[in-house]
Order: sequence, then C-alpha cells, then structure tokens
Amino acid sequence: MKFRGKIIDVACLNHFTRVITTISKLTKVSVLRLTPDNLFFILSEKVANGGVSMWCELAQGNFFDEFQMEGVTADDNEICLEVAPESLSRALKTLQNAKALKIKLTKKHCPCLTISADLPTLSSVSRVVTHDVPVDIIPRKLWHEFKEPHMPDFDVSIYLPPLKTIKNVVDRMKNLSNFLVLEANMSGQMNLKIETDLVSVTTHFKDLGNPPWGDEGSQRDCEAMAQARLDIRKLQQFLTGQQVNPTKALCNLVHHSLVHLILLHEDVSLQYFIPAVA
Amino acid sequence: MVNTGALSRLPSPALPPHICSGCEFGPHKRVRKYDIGITSGNKQFYFPKYMTTAPFLEQHASLAAGKRRYLHSISSIYSTEQMRRQMKQHYLDVLHSCLQSGNCVKAFGRAVHALARLGDELWLDPLAKGLALRSVNSAHSAYSCFLFSPLFFHKYNLRSATEKSAEAIKCKLLMKSILPLFRLPSIERTVERFEISIEEDLVKMKFFCKHGIVKTHNLRFQESDALQAVFSSHLCPNVLKAPAKLLSDMVMHFPVSQEEITLSISAAKVSLRNYFERGNGHMKLMHTEMSLHPDEFHYFQVGVDSDITFCLKELRGLLTFAESHCLPVSVYFGAAGKPVCFSIEDMVLEATVVLATLMETESRAPSQHTATPLNTTTSRCEVEAPQDRSGVEQVASSQGSPILAPRLSLYPSQIDLPCGQGDPIRTHAPSPAPSLVCSLLFKALSQAEDAALDPKVLVGVSDEEDVMEEEPQSPPL
Repeated sequence: MKFRGKIIDVACLNHFTRVITTISKLTKVSVLRLTPDNLFFILSEKVANGGVSMWCELAQGNFFDEFQMEGVTADDNEICLEVAPESLSRALKTLQNAKALKIKLTKKHCPCLTISADLPTLSSVSRVVTHDVPVDIIPRKLWHEFKEPHMPDFDVSIYLPPLKTIKNVVDRMKNLSNFLVLEANMSGQMNLKIETDLVSVTTHFKDLGNPPWGDEGSQRDCEAMAQARLDIRKLQQFLTGQQVNPTKALCNLVHHSLVHLILLHEDVSLQYFIPAVA
Repeated sequence: MVNTGALSRLPSPALPPHICSGCEFGPHKRVRKYDIGITSGNKQFYFPKYMTTAPFLEQHASLAAGKRRYLHSISSIYSTEQMRRQMKQHYLDVLHSCLQSGNCVKAFGRAVHALARLGDELWLDPLAKGLALRSVNSAHSAYSCFLFSPLFFHKYNLRSATEKSAEAIKCKLLMKSILPLFRLPSIERTVERFEISIEEDLVKMKFFCKHGIVKTHNLRFQESDALQAVFSSHLCPNVLKAPAKLLSDMVMHFPVSQEEITLSISAAKVSLRNYFERGNGHMKLMHTEMSLHPDEFHYFQVGVDSDITFCLKELRGLLTFAESHCLPVSVYFGAAGKPVCFSIEDMVLEATVVLATLMETESRAPSQHTATPLNTTTSRCEVEAPQDRSGVEQVASSQGSPILAPRLSLYPSQIDLPCGQGDPIRTHAPSPAPSLVCSLLFKALSQAEDAALDPKVLVGVSDEEDVMEEEPQSPPL
C-alpha cells in the first residue's frame, strides 16, 4: 500500500485546505478512501452520529500535481483510512505559503499520513516542516460500509436558497426549539418551521427552482409539500461548516424520512444525509 | 576673545539655570566681534548679539541687557550635570509629544497579558531602574519579568528609599483583578493616558480615556518579598538570537493545546518538535517537526548539542509581545535539565522568561498527567551547589540580559514565595544556603537603588551603570 501526492499550486493548496476544514467541521472522524482518480471523505451512517452520513468526492487531478497510489492489491486498487480531519486541517492551515507540499502514507510509530512542506525563508535554505497525522487502516472486509450512497427515492427536489440566509434563520430558530420542520414542493417553495408551546415561526422561501431530474417530477402534484422533521443541531452543524459558496446547492426530501443535501463546487461534491425524527 | 580665567572666577548665581538651557557656550569657542561689549573692572567681555534678544530671556522683562549678559556668562560655567538633566527632560518631552500615549498603554497591557499566561499573581516592583512586573507559575518552573525603564514613562517618580523605610515597595496583586483592566483591542483606541501609582496599601491605576472619562481603579495589594529568578545567561553554552517573527512563526505550527516542545540544537540545524509523554494516548496525536538553518538566526552559538524540553504555553505570551514590537528574541540554554531563558530588549523595556526544562534521564510515571507537567520537573531538577558564590552578590536586575547579568544560577524550586501575611515560606529548599542567597538578593536590590542616583546617559540605549565586581562579563551579542 503506497500513496504519494504533491501539491505545488498555492490556489490548489488553499482550496484543498478549505475542503478539509469544511469536513472537519462536520465530523470528528472520517474515512478517507483513495482511488487512482479520486479522494473520498466518507462518514457512514451510525447510531453514534445520530444517523447522519456524508459523502464528499474530490477529483485528485484538480488538486495534486503528482498523485501516485498503489492499493491493497491489484484487484482492490484502493486505500481506506480512518483519519481525524481536524488534524489534517490544522496541519494544512499553517502551511499555506509553502513552496511545495507533499502528502505520503508512512509508517512511523503507527501508520501516518505525513505532510511535509518547504516553507520559504529569508535565507537560502528553506525550512522544512513535517506533520505526522496518525491514521487507522481499514481492512477490506469493512469496505462495503463505505460505498457511494444511492440517490434516495425522493418526493421533492429543490434548489436551496443562499446558504448564509438559511444559516442565519436556523441559528435564530435554534434558540427557540430543538426540532425544525423542513418542507418544500415542486413549485420552488420551501418553508422552515418551528413550533413550541408558546410560539411558532415559519420562514418562507419562494421561487427557488427545482432541478430537472427527469420524468419523476410530473407524477407529483406541484403544490404538495413534502416535509421532514429534523434535529436542528444537525442542520446547523452542516451549515456552519460551509465556507465557500457552492456552484449548486440542492435538497432532496423524502417525506417524513430523509433530507438529502447536495452541494456541488467545480471540483468537489458533498452529499449530506440527515434522517428525519418522529 | 572671552577671558576664561575671569569667567571661572565669577560666583554661581542664585537664579535657576533654566533660563539658559540649551545654550552651552564653551570657553573654547571663539566669539566674533560684536558691537556690544561691556567692561567690568579692567576686563572686556564680548557676547554674541543673539543673547540680547533671546526669547528665554524675554520672560524676564525687568532684566537689563547687562544682567542678561551676566547670566549668559554664568551658564557657561554652570555644572554640566544639571545641564544634562535639563536636556534629558527636554528630550523626553519631545519624545513623548511625538509618541502617542496609547502606545504605552498597549505595551503595558500586552506585558500584563503575557504575564497572565504564566501565573495567577503579579508582582509590581518600582525600582530606580524602572517598573518591574513579574510573575511565576504555580509549579515554580516558569518565571517572567517585564522591566519598563523610566524612559518608557512620561514621568517616573520614585520616592527615594531614604524617605520611607529602607525597603522598597513590593506589592503582589491578583492577576485576575488586573487583567480585565487591559482589554487589548479596545484599550489603545479609548485610553489616551495612563497613570499608575503605589500608595500606602493601594495600587492606583488611572485611565484617562476619550471624551473626558477617567477610570480609576484602586487595587489593594499584599506586601510581599520581591520575587526573582537568578540566571547565568552568559554562562550558557548555547545562544541564539532570532529575528522577531521567526520564533512565533515556528510555534504557530503547533496546536494551541500543545503543552511541551523539544528544541534540539546541533551545529547544522535547530529543530523543534512536539513532546509527548510516554504512555497511552500519544499514538493518536499529531506529531510535528520542523528545522531551522543557522543562517536564519542573527546570532547562532552552539556549545553543546542538546535537546531541551520546556513548556510552550508559557512562552507564547512573550513571543506575541516580541512580534508585536518587532524585537528579536534571544535564547540562552545549555544541556537538558538546565533552565532556558528567552529575553527581548529595546530602549525602554526588557522582558525575560525563564523556563525549567526536563531532565534527560527522567522517566515519567504514566500516571502523572500533563495537567501541570513541570511539577515533576521542578522537584527533580538538580540544585546546583552554591559553592562558587561569593558572600554578597550584587544582583543586577531581573532582566538577565547578557551584558548586565552577573554569574547567577537558577533555582526554580527555591524561589522565595511568601504566602498570606508575608512570612516567607521556603519551597523545596534542601539547604539553608540558597535561602540565604535569596535574602541577600533583596538587600542588594536596595543598595543598588541608592547607587543609581547619578543621571542616566541621555541617549535611548539604556546603558546601565551597574555596580559589577569581580564577575566576568559576557561578550555582547
């Protein structure tokens, strides 16, 4: 099992750092899956997480200038590691002005992702900084847990309003209640509702637009709202982590069951599943 | 031609000399011919024309021309010491009118914050050399001192030791009562002037803010013995002088929660890495290492290859301070186990942090956790036998700057900290000799104060005229 990658471009490094920082805000521990073409950050659905799951896909060619990997075997040409994204994020944040950054899978006191960078200095010799982030190798028999999730059979699919706006609304609502009802229909309308004994608050969004998935939309009544009741903290955690405005932001709702949020950037796609609570 | 002999025989006047400040007219200077000349007896005196119309003489309208000339003649023979004092005060006035007072408060506030990272108590010591702020951590393994020289202040009044009892004021304040007074982002914007005074049992801090608001804080202090760590910085085999940002750039790579780091030095490079206790848990933590080339330092001296491990948290305050003032940081250390000293200095202030380091052969019991890691260090730190000390040692100051500090040793476990009513309680003192040294330190302090009454040299470099005796001085950096 071998992996080496090198990032030279400052903008790529910046972007990579931002992606990893976003992931670190969403989860403490994540699975990193490396294939010859992509990197995936995966959080699988577990009771410990409250049922949320995450799938983030990066095309390695958009970030790395050099990328070489050898999987476990020739047939299973992949590497699955469990890593704490926060350590990675911390290591990368301080190396933003590096001339070149190398990431390698190594074995020191334990299997590690070694991030080493040459930092420019005033003198002729550049400074070398090395960070060793410990990882756990995930055995092949557990790989089935980390497959790409299927697109759910959704009732409504709608574009999200600007994330900052939703974040502000959700932050205020969090003070009032623990649960939020998200509902939307195929006419581009979305509501965020909370209800307590004393007060109920609803925020309405209109003219959002619905992504054209094909013929599924025509079978539904355009005005019928599909709704899901969520734990507001999970939604807030998702929104807080977002640092960059995505090119596209969608939400798929399965009535009373699941909220599936998809964020697309140019070279990164992030999917986040929040289960509905009763 | 001015007749020197006649001038020198003139009696000194009763009038204050400020009239003639700034116009030294030495007898060796040639006087050009003027239309004004007076005769006194059978001697002829000529004075430059500008003297008759000098503005400072115009204050005294009743003076006739002759009297003015007389005064001028006096000025040339008056004591130069007095002249220097006036010139210095004039210089200070100019200096302070150029500096914004906000800057002073900011520096002071930053110093308090840096000290707050170390300990819970602040010692305030007004000395002739300046106002010293000191702090020690609870494990007695870290000591920090910020000394603001009188030049830093617009006015620095120290009631001389002869007026009150022979002991200078030594007050100890709780850090949590001082720290909130200096909220860094807002303090430089709102505070225009700042006065600190120590009276009977109060420390009075007055903040003159914008819009005419004056905030006065009266803090009661505990009378306590002065705290001092003694450190022989010029005996250290390894000396580094790093430019202002270098060290803070280095420590930026370590997480804020990192307790201890290890600094290794060899002829080829200096490297820093984080330090973990043996035992469970260290496998899961991120390891960071970086190395620096000797060229990156202003001064690089390695006497003995060593690895020292010290607490990073306590150092960060000083590094932030150095970075904000763009001052280079000097590092003095030796082999593992010996303390390490970080110091910065400029014209008006000096700051030092002395930290204890881990002994090399120490093996930590896994149960001892990193809550206060250097507790164990302190108790196991070797005490240097004080056989090489002479009877009475004059202690320079708490700065530990290489040029000034005499040969002294650090006893981190023997810092004399009284508690409560001022009874000194010896901590970890295995023998009476170190405590004797500690009390001698205080005596030496008060003696040094009396000695320092002669005026300081005018120019900004605080060239201190310490009374140093047989100890060899270290080479200047």
